[in-house]
Amino acid sequence: MKKKVLALLTLLTLTSALFAGGAQEEAPVQDGVVSIKIVAKDFPDTDPANIAHLRNIEAGFEAYTGQKIALELVPVPEGAYGEKLNLMLLAGNIPDLIYFQGGDEVIANQGLLVDLGPYIKSSEVMQDVLMDFNKDRLANYPYLLWLAPPRARTAVIREDWFNEAGGEIPVTVDDYTELFRSIKNNHPEAFVMTDTGNTGRMDFTFNHAFGLNATWVRENGAYVYNKVSEGSRNKLAYYQKMYAEGILDPEYVTTKWDSMEDKLYTNQVAMVYGTAGIVLDIYNDKLMENQGVGVVALPPAKGIGQGYSVSSAKETRGWGISTTSKNPDVVFELLEFLATDEGQTLDRYGVEGTHYNVVDGKVEFTEEKENWWPHFHEVMAWDAPTPLLGENGLKGWEFIQKYSVGDPDFPIPEELSPTWDALENLYKEYSYKIISGEYSIDKFDEFVSQWYDLGGTKVTDYANEVMK
Amino acid sequence: MRSETKRRLKRDRQLYIMLLPVLLFFFIWHYIPMWGARIAFQDMRYIGANEWVGLKHFKMLFSSPVFFRVFMNTVTISTMKIILIFPLPIFLAFSFNELRGSIYRNALQSVIYIPHFLSWVVISGIFISLLASPDGVINQIITLFGGDPVSFMTSTRHIRWVFVFSEAWRSIGWDSILYIAAINSISQGLYDAATVDGASKFQQAMKITLPSIAPTIITMFILNLGFFMNAGFDQVFNMMNDAVINHVDIIDTYVYRVGLTKGNFSLGTAAGLFKGVIGIILILGTDKISRKISGEGVW
Repeated sequence: MKKKVLALLTLLTLTSALFAGGAQEEAPVQDGVVSIKIVAKDFPDTDPANIAHLRNIEAGFEAYTGQKIALELVPVPEGAYGEKLNLMLLAGNIPDLIYFQGGDEVIANQGLLVDLGPYIKSSEVMQDVLMDFNKDRLANYPYLLWLAPPRARTAVIREDWFNEAGGEIPVTVDDYTELFRSIKNNHPEAFVMTDTGNTGRMDFTFNHAFGLNATWVRENGAYVYNKVSEGSRNKLAYYQKMYAEGILDPEYVTTKWDSMEDKLYTNQVAMVYGTAGIVLDIYNDKLMENQGVGVVALPPAKGIGQGYSVSSAKETRGWGISTTSKNPDVVFELLEFLATDEGQTLDRYGVEGTHYNVVDGKVEFTEEKENWWPHFHEVMAWDAPTPLLGENGLKGWEFIQKYSVGDPDFPIPEELSPTWDALENLYKEYSYKIISGEYSIDKFDEFVSQWYDLGGTKVTDYANEVMK
Repeated sequence: MRSETKRRLKRDRQLYIMLLPVLLFFFIWHYIPMWGARIAFQDMRYIGANEWVGLKHFKMLFSSPVFFRVFMNTVTISTMKIILIFPLPIFLAFSFNELRGSIYRNALQSVIYIPHFLSWVVISGIFISLLASPDGVINQIITLFGGDPVSFMTSTRHIRWVFVFSEAWRSIGWDSILYIAAINSISQGLYDAATVDGASKFQQAMKITLPSIAPTIITMFILNLGFFMNAGFDQVFNMMNDAVINHVDIIDTYVYRVGLTKGNFSLGTAAGLFKGVIGIILILGTDKISRKISGEGVW
């Protein structure tokens, strides 16, 4: 008898385990209230601040439009966001508003994302807040909206070592070189700059100086991929020199973003590169905390040109509205509301009582503010009544406004993506070997030849076709 | 149902009930998902029915300008691991068999098992700090003996050896458990008789221990070959860098980058099927060869 009971219990346990966590009842929606499901990265519904934020947005939206909405965050399983999001969408769980950080093209190609073009055309708020590069990107790919400054990486250098070296803001590549050498002389045990796995961050400072002002540059009357152009050769030769002189950290290729920052806070490097805006303030504050000294933001180097390229291919991240949404108009209105002054106040300041308090009519941020970031938009044109950025953050934004240059890029089509991956990997290997001195700069010609043989010719032909 | 079968089922019903959870596990997690493998032959649709496209994704995979290199990287890394790492747990189990002091043996075993419980994120962090920097511990030792520092993590000559060494460090302790268990099941009487006959420790190991655990070794070898094409996604993904990417990019990392991160699950599934077919061929082929040579197979 005991054995039968045991067997029954085993079966019951297994059956209940199989069906545990099954279908959940949806929250009832009141008449006239439009329900909007949202999925986003690092926006869990388990955080009370996030829920409070949604309730504030609902109230603000109703006051702005007269329409009642109910916002609901759809949880994403732990792990790589892009991968988990795709699996969720494939399973048929398609929220109204979806945040993408890549992997959206396949979905857009299948008609699952709303063409935002007509909405934006008839929207007054968006016309005001969209930057030129946003407009270019939307013209190429009208499925993702991302209202935020271009993600250019700005160089920041520790202030004390910078001042020891003369304290002059460098302008030309020669100025930079002189500054680097001076710092290396004063602090031979440290490196001047580092990067994270490749030269992507440093490139923001140096690309234009070497004539690499776009992804596809003009050479002999045709478009050439910038990494196989003459400018690329000159830039790699410069990096090679910096590496040989002990200015560029030899570990840059194995350094991750967190260890890069750690190297700044522990006197191992003088200069790192961060996303213009609040990240630069964070570097400043953390270095101040660790070493009692701040950082100075530096502009892009001047040479053949000076600037940051802002690709017009498509948004690399952003919000898409699903075509399965029953109320895409209201969802777009929500995106629009969040771009208004009222929406920005809610999204940028955080939750009153948690991230800030209003004292005598003035906003005073709490320590919790450090843990808050805008979850929807970061409208650059919005003039926050209480400033949100510190000196370095503002400087970074100033550089972006002054030096950003449009890059007439285009998305690589799906059928060319394996070839593109191979071409990028070829550059990665050659560029490291040239920079580290394992290859002489003369090997650049061999790289270019291999690049074209591997499929570069096909991609270049395509580029010249679409960029006519 | 035949009466003999019914009688056996009734007689061993408790064993069958105990087997049920395992069967259910395999059915749910390994057999039902096989139905999903059909997407390798389809263009996946997020809305509506998938579209059958035949071998399109296989053609896309094989026509990639780097797929052959990626395939060869996978084969090379896997071969190095199988040849160099597979015998180590057996040697370790033999060594443990000779250790008599139980406290010392238990402590040593525990220390050797620990790396198995570390994730590749942690292990890669440890190896990068040890091997990448000219000031790392290993390079300090090399310099101490008059050598030049080597950036192991960025050197195309060394990186695959780093993979083999780190994999060995992580897995040999844990993998030796099975062989230790097999050795422990050998009758002590055989060793006593051999000792009386004057057999040395080496002779005992070669004439008693090795033949006794040979079936276990053969079975494990054949099963390992089934996973031959899994060269270690987590390890390679975490230890790979731009300097060595073309020498260590394996099928799994390639598919992750070109397929999964871009939402092209069909391409990923096609690669998975390709790997699976190679695994099955290796298992069946080795099993057949093994049966011919030694009379032992995996089943």
